[in-house]
Amino acid sequence: MANFLKPFVNWVAKNYGDNVGKMLIHTGVIGWILSSAAQVVAIMINDKIPKKQKLYMIPQEIADAGVNIISFYLITQTCKSLGSKLVDSGRWLSGPVRKFLLDNNIQNVGKKGFDVLTQGQLTPEMMTKFKEFRSGMDVLFTTAGSILSCNIVTPIVRNEIAANRQKKFIADLEPTTNDVSNQSIFNQNSYKRRPTMDAFIDGTYSRQRVYPTSSSLKI
Amino acid sequence: MTSLNVNRISTVARNVTGAVAGAIPTVTIKGERANKFITWIGKNISSPENRLILGVTALMSQPFIDLHNRKVDEETRKVSAARTVAKIIAGTLTGVLVRKGCIKAIDAFSMLPSQITATTKWPWLRTLFTPDSAISGVLTDLTHHKNALGTFLSLFVMTITNFAIDAPLTKFLTNKFVDKIKEKDAIKAEEAKLKQTTQQIIAQQKPQEVKEVARG
Repeated sequence: MANFLKPFVNWVAKNYGDNVGKMLIHTGVIGWILSSAAQVVAIMINDKIPKKQKLYMIPQEIADAGVNIISFYLITQTCKSLGSKLVDSGRWLSGPVRKFLLDNNIQNVGKKGFDVLTQGQLTPEMMTKFKEFRSGMDVLFTTAGSILSCNIVTPIVRNEIAANRQKKFIADLEPTTNDVSNQSIFNQNSYKRRPTMDAFIDGTYSRQRVYPTSSSLKI
Repeated sequence: MTSLNVNRISTVARNVTGAVAGAIPTVTIKGERANKFITWIGKNISSPENRLILGVTALMSQPFIDLHNRKVDEETRKVSAARTVAKIIAGTLTGVLVRKGCIKAIDAFSMLPSQITATTKWPWLRTLFTPDSAISGVLTDLTHHKNALGTFLSLFVMTITNFAIDAPLTKFLTNKFVDKIKEKDAIKAEEAKLKQTTQQIIAQQKPQEVKEVARG
């Protein structure tokens, strides 16, 4: 048991042992992938959805997952990289570290290509202070990126995409609205209320009336 | 997602950050309290806290996105916002608790050899998740490692809780919120009807009063 787990444990320690921001982004992406996979499985095993609709919905759900994952990774990674770049180059620093660099007459602090860790000639005490500051800023920028991505950009983008796709979806389904199995999910009122694709998938979970929402079941 | 896509995204992210970082002014955080706070964040904020922050901020943004969705009618907007709130509450509760629990579980089995004493129960299990670098003494602080390992474990646990807890809890909360909304709407409709009836009665009475005054 222990031997079987050890390579993975060592890999986690090596890659995430001192990098919280990186861990938050990577586990966030895995979370999105797993929750999207769960939604696809939920559609696949739902007997109330006719096979014809499943063939349409599964690829669309995978496309939705792609949008979620790419926007999360792009925005959060960009924010994290920005934070790291600002701190590593010395553009954003804590007071004690800035004073140390000034006192020791270190040149090019804050300029492009400068690296505090390798060129700052920090003492062990200053190195610890710098790393603590760097870790804190890393978490702050990563969290800001996650908020921007998960709570603002992704819901808006997804709603827009879903609204456009929904028109086509309704047009495709219209001839089969008399099908009894469809009526449990898409009743007449649901059509009038224009459900989004996201809402339809949520509806398949809860088997209740279909309403659009800005969030999917997120891990 | 292929490695090609990840590389492209990373390149885009690097290019964007390079350009933006160059335009951001130099900042020195001088205050002792502010520096302590940033250090505290780096040490104490991990995935459960991050999930909690995301949940709280989601409550402050996503229902409003739903309420301002002009592509649907008013009733749908209200119900979809209620459903979003339910999903955020269920998802955040489960997410935070499962992450915390998994990190706690990993913590119990990631001890350093120096922490194991004669009174420690199941000593052979206590280093199950301790990396070799910590056993050899290179890595001394295991906090971030435990958080990372616990978070990975929680992701797999949550694929189950997503169905077992999130979905039914979301349904339950949505129904509660929707019932509340319907109750309020019914009261409003009743009040509006009453007001309309009163106005009609007043309107009918007025001409009679005028006639009576004229006769008088």
